[in-house]
Amino acid sequence: MGEPLGQPSLENSYSLRPAFQHKFRSSAVKECIHAILKENLANVQYNPEETPGLTRSLSETIKDRLKAEGFHRYKMVVQVVIGEQRGEGVNMAARCFWDADTDNYAQDVFINDSLFCVVAAFGCFYY
Amino acid sequence: MEPEKRRTKEDTWKSDELKKHLRVSQSDSQSEDKKQKEKKLQRAIETHDMVDYKGYIPKDQDKDRGKAKERTEQANIRDEVKERRHTERKVKEGKKSESKNSLGEFLTKKDEEGGHRHKSHRDQELNKDRGRSHRDKREHEHSVRGGKERPSKERSHELFVKDGEEKYVLRRPKEGSSIEDRERQLSENNEKRQREENERKKRDLKKTEHKKQGKSLREEETSHHHERSATDKGKSIEREKKEDTSQRQHQGEHVSAWKPMQRQKSEEELEISDNYLTNYEDDFEDYVDDFDDDDDEDNDSEARDSEERLREIPVSKKSEIEEIQRAINAENERIGTLLPKQIQKEHEKEPNMERQDSPARGSLYGMFMDFETANQRQSNRNMASKQKKRSSELLRLIDLDFSVSFSLLDLPPVNEYDMYIRNFGKTNTKQAYVQSNEDNLERDVQTDEIETLEKWTQHPGDSVLVSGGPRSSNDVSVDIAVTPKIDSQRLTNFLRSACQVIAVLLEEDRVATQPRWNLRSRQTSLSISDSCFQLNTNLPFLHGRKVSCLHVSQVQRQALLSVHGLPEKPGAIQLDRKYIVCVWNVWQPSSPQKVLVCEAEVSCCCFSPSKATLVFAGTMDGSLVVWDLREDSRMHHCIKLNETDWIFRAPTFSTDGVLSSLNHTYPVLAIEPVSTSVYKEQNYGLSHLSSQEEMSGLSFQIASMDENGTLNLWVAVELQKVDLAGSQSDLGLIPGGKVKLVHSSTVQLNSSLFPKDILCLRTPQTLNIKFLPSNPNHFIVGTDIGVVSHGARHDLRVPPKLFKPQQGGPRSIRANAVDFSPFGKPIFLVGCSDGSIRLHQMTSEHPIIQWNDSTNGQPVIALQWALTRPAVFFVLDASSCVYIWDLLENDLCPVAKQIIQSDKVMTMVVLGEPEKTNGLLGIALAKQSGIIDIQYVKKRWALPQSEESEKLLLLLQQSL
Repeated sequence: MGEPLGQPSLENSYSLRPAFQHKFRSSAVKECIHAILKENLANVQYNPEETPGLTRSLSETIKDRLKAEGFHRYKMVVQVVIGEQRGEGVNMAARCFWDADTDNYAQDVFINDSLFCVVAAFGCFYY
Repeated sequence: MEPEKRRTKEDTWKSDELKKHLRVSQSDSQSEDKKQKEKKLQRAIETHDMVDYKGYIPKDQDKDRGKAKERTEQANIRDEVKERRHTERKVKEGKKSESKNSLGEFLTKKDEEGGHRHKSHRDQELNKDRGRSHRDKREHEHSVRGGKERPSKERSHELFVKDGEEKYVLRRPKEGSSIEDRERQLSENNEKRQREENERKKRDLKKTEHKKQGKSLREEETSHHHERSATDKGKSIEREKKEDTSQRQHQGEHVSAWKPMQRQKSEEELEISDNYLTNYEDDFEDYVDDFDDDDDEDNDSEARDSEERLREIPVSKKSEIEEIQRAINAENERIGTLLPKQIQKEHEKEPNMERQDSPARGSLYGMFMDFETANQRQSNRNMASKQKKRSSELLRLIDLDFSVSFSLLDLPPVNEYDMYIRNFGKTNTKQAYVQSNEDNLERDVQTDEIETLEKWTQHPGDSVLVSGGPRSSNDVSVDIAVTPKIDSQRLTNFLRSACQVIAVLLEEDRVATQPRWNLRSRQTSLSISDSCFQLNTNLPFLHGRKVSCLHVSQVQRQALLSVHGLPEKPGAIQLDRKYIVCVWNVWQPSSPQKVLVCEAEVSCCCFSPSKATLVFAGTMDGSLVVWDLREDSRMHHCIKLNETDWIFRAPTFSTDGVLSSLNHTYPVLAIEPVSTSVYKEQNYGLSHLSSQEEMSGLSFQIASMDENGTLNLWVAVELQKVDLAGSQSDLGLIPGGKVKLVHSSTVQLNSSLFPKDILCLRTPQTLNIKFLPSNPNHFIVGTDIGVVSHGARHDLRVPPKLFKPQQGGPRSIRANAVDFSPFGKPIFLVGCSDGSIRLHQMTSEHPIIQWNDSTNGQPVIALQWALTRPAVFFVLDASSCVYIWDLLENDLCPVAKQIIQSDKVMTMVVLGEPEKTNGLLGIALAKQSGIIDIQYVKKRWALPQSEESEKLLLLLQQSL
């Protein structure tokens, strides 16, 4: 009841592809992420108590920024991982089940002396 | 109150029955929210049934058949339940209306609070329900129902009480009020609800007229709902199901749901296959029901009114009703959109006002919250269903696939040292490294340093300077070495001739100073000679060799050839099996200039006519050999004998075994150069083409004659290119040799020269041949039959054919020697083996003069004109006696006679230089011992006299 039901004319007007200017461009997103990370993490030391909040705020910031970027009809998933730099080897990978034509991801890593921060932003086109 | 209460009890009993059943089916279903739950279950069952009927007909057909009865029963039961609920509500309403004044808002609030709690509880249940799959649950319930229904129905009333208590306890644990209270509250609630309804109705009056009407209708209707449900029971199975559902929904609660339900049904019919959607929408309808049921009481009542009216109205009027319903539906939808806000408002308004007053109103308030969330859930569901549909359609259009794995971060582990440095490296320390002895480098080179020196050279040299450059690498300045320009060819030529001259001079000087030589010459000097000397044949390789032949060049008069035979006893050196030809310069008698060796026995030899550079020889094998005296000595074998190097020259070219078809098959007796120079003089003007050949001294032919009368003419050819590896085509040529003989022509003298009468006796043997000096085309051949035949090249027939002796015919007399006069006169001498000497002229067959007994019958071996005087000639007979004839002085007998007794003279040759007037005329005598004596005859025979030729000519004419 929230939305009017049963207007059959709408049914087949799906837009299956994003407009070119709204396409999820990995490089642009990466720049965006990079800028935010640089701005927010430049002189941050790792602190296990602050980190959860930091990740959350970062992911929110990035998500909002990406939304402002104008990727219409894209659902953004932003994952932020912050870990302490202690010399251990870290390997992170992602795998997606998606429509490779429309969906994309961007990833950026920020590393300073005490922490590393990995941000992966996935854009899923909302048909 | 009383009857209403009773009714309520009845209702509760029914509900109790249901509840019990529910409890069996689902342990956690609580009785307190029995009504809601029942309703919900009912819905679920209904929808399930519907789905079963529509969506799963093929699948469940047999089952349906079997369960048809049960289902009807179930439906009935559900109907009952619904009716009960309905009545309950009515009771409530009634209560509300009754207690409007007395109970006031407190109760309402309480009720609301209860509802609120109730609602939360139900939420939980719903969540649980939702957690399970709809279908499963429904089927489960279904089956359970089928099984448990009867027993539950048969249960007694006391169960109700218990249930009621339970219900009560659960419902209001906090308040802790009694059952009576609870019942009272219920009634109060109902009353309150009724009141509220009224209030809201008033509020909503502006919305629709229908609602009002509905309400009024509904009020009337409330009394008969029992009968209605009874009639419902009696309906047939399948048809009933459909209509029943719709009606039940009507009855059950609300009008607002009715229309959507119908629409939904149609949708379901359209989308039979789409189970999910249907189910979802069913659920959605469920919520709509909930919502309408609890939220909009006025709507409910209106709906109920319309429901009842519908039921009463005959089928014929249904279309109108449907129109109305559609309108209602539309309105409801509109309201639906507005509802959340309204609810919100109500939340804000009423609770705020009322909650302060009494907790009783809280329960009523809770009901509103319930609706809101239900609404939300509903919309969520709605959205979800839409999205599902969307996705199902979209998934056909798009492809989803797994991406490759993206590596988001790959941070390699830091090794311990780096870690240490990272942690502690910066604290109060500084890292630096120092490498000691860094400049102590060693370098080793295994190769020597290359010394370079700049030099330059120019070939061929333009000037005196042909090469130069600094002396050493240090001396950078170009030091031009001034070297004299040397024409090596000229120098060589000069040295060659000068050396000869010097050598001759030195030898003469030595002869003069050494008395032994003089003495010796004196000893051997003859009466006819002024002086004499010997060629030094006292050489190791000439020991014991007889000299068989001598020859003097016609051009270079000092050049003399001596042919040495095999030694009598073999010597130590390896030349024993070879014949040797020595080339002498008579002015240098100490040693032969060149030593030539030949494998075959050399019978005759000669120099090349214009220049004494080539030596030709005929052998007893019938072959001809050529030596090129210009050849480099390195080409030949060198033997050191008595501390002197002797070079033994092998033939440059030999016809031996090479030109076998053309070669002589008999021993070669004579070999003569045929000079073309004289011939050229006669053909002035044409000579010039052959000037080149003349210059090289090769414009001549070689005539060789064997004893069988075969005359071969050869051309000596000088090769332009020297092949040191040996020629492939000219097999007779020595490697590096430049001269070869090419066969020119062959003349069979026997057949051409001799007349038939001579030939018929026997084939005459040819002994020697001489070419007319003034015309080399003519030649004379001495034979063993005493005659000398006259021949000419090119088959010229020239008279006379034969030169015969004065008396007699052909007889066995060898014409051992013939010699043309060197002064150009066509006269020649013939010396025969019977000792006779004839003087012939070319034009007559018979001799001009014949001397028969000058030698006392001794055969003439050699006979030769003097080179300086035309009227003098020398004769050697077999008894080693040399006669000197001077025709001007005495034309009957020799003027001088010298017998050489010491040694047998093998052959004699005349030396002299007619070009010079020094009067030096010598004869070389080869002796059996191998000594070659050269005697210079006395001046009176040597010096030419005035007008000698004319006198001789006169003499000859006289003698004719």
